[in-house]
Amino acid sequence: MKKPLQITVNGEIRQFFAEPYCSLLDALRDELLLTGTKKGCDEGDCGACTVLLNGQAVTSCLVLAHSAHDSQVTTVEGLADHQKLHPVQQAFVDHGGLQCGFCTPGLIMSAVGLLQENPNPTEEEVRFAIGGNLCRCTGYNKVVEAILAAAQAMQNKLKA
Amino acid sequence: MPEYTVLEHSHPRVDAWEKVTGQATYAADLHLPGMLACKLLTSPRSHARIVSIDTSRAEKLPGVRAVITGKDFPNTHFGSGGLKDRYIMARDEVYYIGEPVAAVAADDEMTAQEALELIRVEYQDLPAVVSPLDALKSGATVVHSDLPKFEGYGFAAGGPNVCTLLDADRGDVEQAFHEADHIFEDTFRSQGINQGFLEPMACAARVEPNGRLTVWASTQGPYQVRAQLAGVLGMTISNVKVIPMELGGGFGAKLRLAFEAFPALLAIKSGHPVKLVNTREEAFTMNGPRLPTHIHLKTAVKDGRITAREAHSVFDVGAYLGAGPNSGVGHALGAYHIPNFKLRSYGVYTNKLYVGSYRASGVADMTFAVESHMDIIAHKLGVDPLDFRTINAVKEGDQAVGGARTPRNGLQETIQAVKERLGLPKKLTSDNPNEARGVGVALCEWRSGSGPSTASISVNEDGTVSLLTGSVDISGSDTSLAQIAAEALGVKMEQVIVAERDTDLAPFTGPSGGSRIIYSQGKAVQMAAEDTRKKLIALAAERLKLSPEALSCAGGRVYVQDNPPQGFTLGQLARQSLTSKGGPIIGTAALSSMPYTPVFCTHAAEVVVDKGTGQVRVTRYLQAQDVGVAINPMSVEGQLEGGVVQGIGRALTEEIQWDPNTGKVRNPSLATYLMPLAVDMPQVENILIRVPSPDGPFGARAVAEPPGFGPPAAIANAIYDAVGVRIKDLPLSPERVLAALQGKDTEIKMDVEALRRAEAGRG
Ligand code: FES
Ligand code: FES
Repeated sequence: MKKPLQITVNGEIRQFFAEPYCSLLDALRDELLLTGTKKGCDEGDCGACTVLLNGQAVTSCLVLAHSAHDSQVTTVEGLADHQKLHPVQQAFVDHGGLQCGFCTPGLIMSAVGLLQENPNPTEEEVRFAIGGNLCRCTGYNKVVEAILAAAQAMQNKLKA
Repeated sequence: MPEYTVLEHSHPRVDAWEKVTGQATYAADLHLPGMLACKLLTSPRSHARIVSIDTSRAEKLPGVRAVITGKDFPNTHFGSGGLKDRYIMARDEVYYIGEPVAAVAADDEMTAQEALELIRVEYQDLPAVVSPLDALKSGATVVHSDLPKFEGYGFAAGGPNVCTLLDADRGDVEQAFHEADHIFEDTFRSQGINQGFLEPMACAARVEPNGRLTVWASTQGPYQVRAQLAGVLGMTISNVKVIPMELGGGFGAKLRLAFEAFPALLAIKSGHPVKLVNTREEAFTMNGPRLPTHIHLKTAVKDGRITAREAHSVFDVGAYLGAGPNSGVGHALGAYHIPNFKLRSYGVYTNKLYVGSYRASGVADMTFAVESHMDIIAHKLGVDPLDFRTINAVKEGDQAVGGARTPRNGLQETIQAVKERLGLPKKLTSDNPNEARGVGVALCEWRSGSGPSTASISVNEDGTVSLLTGSVDISGSDTSLAQIAAEALGVKMEQVIVAERDTDLAPFTGPSGGSRIIYSQGKAVQMAAEDTRKKLIALAAERLKLSPEALSCAGGRVYVQDNPPQGFTLGQLARQSLTSKGGPIIGTAALSSMPYTPVFCTHAAEVVVDKGTGQVRVTRYLQAQDVGVAINPMSVEGQLEGGVVQGIGRALTEEIQWDPNTGKVRNPSLATYLMPLAVDMPQVENILIRVPSPDGPFGARAVAEPPGFGPPAAIANAIYDAVGVRIKDLPLSPERVLAALQGKDTEIKMDVEALRRAEAGRG
């Protein structure tokens, strides 16, 4: 039986119904039609479903939708400010941090989560932070470069 | 290098914005009104006769809209190559665990899943064979007893499970072995590998009011899907439209018809749109992976040069023939000129999931064997491994296996570049007594992919141009094709629109695979751009009453060479064309094949081996590849880096584990099938060599396949350099390295004599 719940997604309050067993990932994709968050495994192994839950990067396939009741969720759709990309998104574009793009929303959300906690990470810290995000296309070089560049850009902006 | 305005620039991908904002639509993202969910029932048996299937209880479950079994499809075989050896869904027999047996469409996935459990299938077990070497033995269990009757079968030799036997011969091999100073023989084995695309296969289908079928697919080959789908459904090609969706990685796995036929038939039966999305487990148990190979190489050396090669390669193809065996002949020489050869390649059926393509299937396995073998020979001869390779390397004018002449190329430059960057030869040492360090090299070769390619470019009234091709974007190919169009037409990248496409819109185009897009499709784009340019110039010449030779097309304008201010912008010409004699401007091009153009690269790995655990860590990885011209350097580097990391996974951790008795995949998850993570990987270094190819667009060569070939051999060779043990079996796991360090026998056994005998007895 579907039950009602309420989640603030990308700043908007969303009220909807979901089965008790429905994951946050399925709720986002199938109930709210926010399909930017990807399902690569549904088992917590690939990171493609990463979103921010109350500011923390989590794999949304392992979170029950109802346990996110009354929480704040940010998905990849919520990062850009109209036509202006988030610095992490921009860095992925500029540095070739994506190819097929299927891992990209998850990687970007992991990176945004990392930079909120640690605005000035080392390469090693970046690699560690995205250690749960599989990417089969890029070999990670350009992903790491992009995240480091985003950190730099965000720092510069703060200073300015 | 010529001065380019658009090429050799790292332009961001044309689809980057959609992808970083989550707007790019992959097949699983489709939500059509009234859409049903599809789930598949698969065989739990390795080999069995289907006695009966009862779907009645499933059909009665509320929410179930349609159920199909193999008998609902026309009784037609199809195949992924010339040999038609399979049904789209099992009819009378199942040949592996995981083979689709029935499919359900229901209101939601849960109901569909529940319905599967209500389907009763009665099986009668048949004997199964899982090991390819067992399947080769005389008297082995037969996988397909009706093999001789399959359309396209022509190899009545090698045994009842040999579905293909390919050969290539040149010169006098026996004489060369007779005269050799040294003869070397080694056997290698490679493991089963999953392509690891992040996007599980997904597709959807809908019957349109006019009776046509629309299919949304995650595919590299929409025209292949269209043809095969029409075939298995008994429809005409023109009644099927395939819309390729954003591709979340394919690497060969999505070249052909996959599961599209199931939602398609369910859509026909139910009257509703139907979507199928694979689970990750299904990506391991139902999607054709790369299967194990056994490769035996025998090589004659005289005066430091290789004079002959005999190769016997056994490709396990699982239940149905797919990619692989070709490389057993085509790539058994590696990047070397060998005057005499005798090459044999077997495709052998087993009761396992059938083989699929993966980043030049087979070649990667051949490269591991050939490049390990080269190292073994060099060490036994006491010569530097890189020098030995350099001396024997293919040169311009040498004949490849198929007889084509090798054109100008940058192989030697890649060797030189790696040698200089790493300061080879060198001996690495470690301060830690429990560790040893080593360096290993490997050369890789591939050819630029060919096949039907088409392109058209129309000029819009605002001076932009629309580029239409039938190829699916793969790893940024749309961006590179747009760059080729922009360069050839003298417009800015921002002026090129890459049109959305489907099989109704664009003419037939070969699949996006085998490193063919830039080389072949790019050539078609370049030719279409030239055609467009010619038409623009002709129109301007007519309007200016000048000869076309007096005009140039660049900077978004056609202008008089002697008086550049005089002329028209492309927008002006496009508007004028609407009332001109020739009408709107559109340039087109089509080609069916391209000349032989090899691609070469040199790889080097530095490793640390833990002598206590056998653990191998790659500390540095360098590759130099001849790319001809880098259409988009960022994109080229991305291909090279991604390929190497896939290769490192293949070298060290990845392996599909099959139950030796049943052929069931034992590790169907990303937690148990270990692909490289960012934390495990070194920062890969690339050197781009630019020796333009005589035929590619602006001299470009293929890029994407070879980077994945080198790592297993380069790393195996580095392990040997570090600790003096030779592993001929992939992956180079800690267990294997440790066993070898402890002096255990790790040699691969394959009865090559039996193959020679079987071949001698061939009629
Ligand atoms: S889909 Fe959640 S981790 Fe893979
Ligand atoms: S870009 Fe394809 S998986 Fe990361």
